[in-house]
Amino acid sequence: MLRPLLTVSALEFRTRVRDRTALVIAIIVPVAMATLFGVALGGDDPPLRATVGFVDLDGGEFPAGVRREVMASTELDGVLTLRDLPGREQAQTALDAGDIGAAIVFPKGFSASVGAGEGGQVGVLTSADSPLAGVVANAVVDRISSLVRARTLAVRASLDAGIPAAEVKEFVERNGATGPALTLENDPMAGGKVDLSVYYGAGMAALFAFFVVGASFRSLLIERKQGTLDRMRAGPIHAWVPIAGKAVVGFALAMVSVCVTWASSVLIFGSTWGDPVAVFTLLLAHVLAATAITMLVASRARTDAQADGVIMVISFVAAFFGGSLVPLYNLPDLLQKIALFTPNAWTTTGLTGLAGSGAGLASVAAPIGVLCAIALAAFCLAAMGFRKGLLG
Amino acid sequence: MTNTLNCENLSKKYGDVVAVADVGFTIAPGEAYGLLGPNGAGKTTTISMLVGLLKPDTGTVVVGGTDLATDPMAAKAKIGYVPQEIALYPDLTGRENLRFFGRLFGLPRKELRGRIDEVLDLVGLADRADAKLDTYSGGMKRRINIGAALLHRPELLILDEPTVGVDPQSRKAILDGVERLVADGMALLYTSHYMEEVERICHRVAIIDHGAIVAEGTRHELVELVGGADRIELTLDGDVETAIAKLRGVGGVTEAARTAAGSVRLIAEGGRYLLPAIIATVDGIATVTAVEVVEPDLEATFLHLTGSTLRD
Repeated sequence: MLRPLLTVSALEFRTRVRDRTALVIAIIVPVAMATLFGVALGGDDPPLRATVGFVDLDGGEFPAGVRREVMASTELDGVLTLRDLPGREQAQTALDAGDIGAAIVFPKGFSASVGAGEGGQVGVLTSADSPLAGVVANAVVDRISSLVRARTLAVRASLDAGIPAAEVKEFVERNGATGPALTLENDPMAGGKVDLSVYYGAGMAALFAFFVVGASFRSLLIERKQGTLDRMRAGPIHAWVPIAGKAVVGFALAMVSVCVTWASSVLIFGSTWGDPVAVFTLLLAHVLAATAITMLVASRARTDAQADGVIMVISFVAAFFGGSLVPLYNLPDLLQKIALFTPNAWTTTGLTGLAGSGAGLASVAAPIGVLCAIALAAFCLAAMGFRKGLLG
Repeated sequence: MTNTLNCENLSKKYGDVVAVADVGFTIAPGEAYGLLGPNGAGKTTTISMLVGLLKPDTGTVVVGGTDLATDPMAAKAKIGYVPQEIALYPDLTGRENLRFFGRLFGLPRKELRGRIDEVLDLVGLADRADAKLDTYSGGMKRRINIGAALLHRPELLILDEPTVGVDPQSRKAILDGVERLVADGMALLYTSHYMEEVERICHRVAIIDHGAIVAEGTRHELVELVGGADRIELTLDGDVETAIAKLRGVGGVTEAARTAAGSVRLIAEGGRYLLPAIIATVDGIATVTAVEVVEPDLEATFLHLTGSTLRD
């Protein structure tokens, strides 16, 4: 059984290699598409750095306290740089010139107003050219607002309790905490933080695996048409040898395709897909599922053209619903549920999880299990289809 | 002597349609057996069951003493099957095609190399062996198509329409080669639309129609079935259908039918002596522009038994 299998596989491999389109479909196009998507839509997230103007028209203790807290914050270390500016107009000029990304303006009398329990308003200047700096500045101001509200409430409560106005300030500071360090609450990518070069690399790998392995099963139907399949089957070989021989080569070439796409993403973008063993195993499971699904199509198709068309449709539908073309978290809830029926969704989710978390093989056990289940079901249906059709 | 092929009671149905019904025959070593039948008669289904591509509903196939159902690998290894179409890889050279099919039959590498050279010599293509198949003429492809079935020295060679669409030179080369193989002791099952090929090569012939063998025997035995009837080919100009209807009423004419070429074919006892009556019958209906009288042959027998010509 092994020798005929190797003979069929060798011929299939040679034919695919001689046919330059195999090289194009397996390597050039997926790598090019992943690269283009990565360059156009993502690549590594830009580092979160912002220079924020600091306009202290108050000169009181509150702006000084904020400055101290910002400078002392470990979370803001290396992220936020404060640049002192004398007034609001100068801040606006610097903002327009791109020297700063945003500005925080403490109005005159701010500290006194807060100290008297009357609250206060901090101004924020932002620019559409520097959205991240605006987010950082607003996050700082939000935190300030919390402190101001807390201080105002404490002062009012103290006054209502009969504390003399002259002693309220000392009373509040003696009994009130200074509050936690400033934190950035408005992370712009919270909940969906991914490296898009990894995301689209995984997507293209998942999509093109179908095309690569599908080409082998298409050639099986071409062989049926040209009579070589029957000629093989009339020889002393097991009926499954021609199918298995094609499947082995399609599977191997698809593995090469996904691994090259993975390697190119790492080399071009410097991306990290995560634990190599976990990534490889997940890709292996995906290619197995793609092999089984395309085999199922070939087992039911009447002609190679019909198989080609169906594989194309299945590949793109699975790619769309599975998040290979549009990030899954951008899809509506219903479509995200539909995505669970596609191997692409499990592969893409698994790969982006690995890239984001640095977890190992155990963390993608569920996606691998689902992909293997899809493969098993499709293999069984394909076997039944071949028994009734091609091998009937 | 043990028969190389022994098939009995082969039947195959597709739903309610009977493709093959109770077909059986034997072929001895060194014997050429012809299987004749019009399109759709069941020839291809029968061959598909003989080479293991189709599982028969009933019946047995034994090749060289090995039952195809119980030991298909061993039985298939004794068969060389040449399908009607050019079942080869156009992107490979002639030699590469032979190497591929030789390996499938499990020939060791060294032996295969020698066998490929022998087969290339046999089919007369040694000088074109390393050219891609898609540069070959139709006849050359046919010869490689046959060569691919000979590499493993089969006991039984099955040729399904091996000379369709080939030039006279290639046809002669193929027929000469096949005759040599049979003379060397190989059993042959041969189907063809060309009656003269079957008459030249085959020792025995079976005529199959509507899935069943309707006659079997040597050429002489089959011709005897239509007695001493002559075959008369008339070329008519005019109302041919009316003429055929009238001709069926002429005494001694047992068959009258229009051929695919448009002429009228008659089977008539002592036909050559009926020519005046035949011409008189069609007078005023059609004009006789050509007449050919052929003594009894396999073609006449086929027409007599199946009601159609082989190429219809």
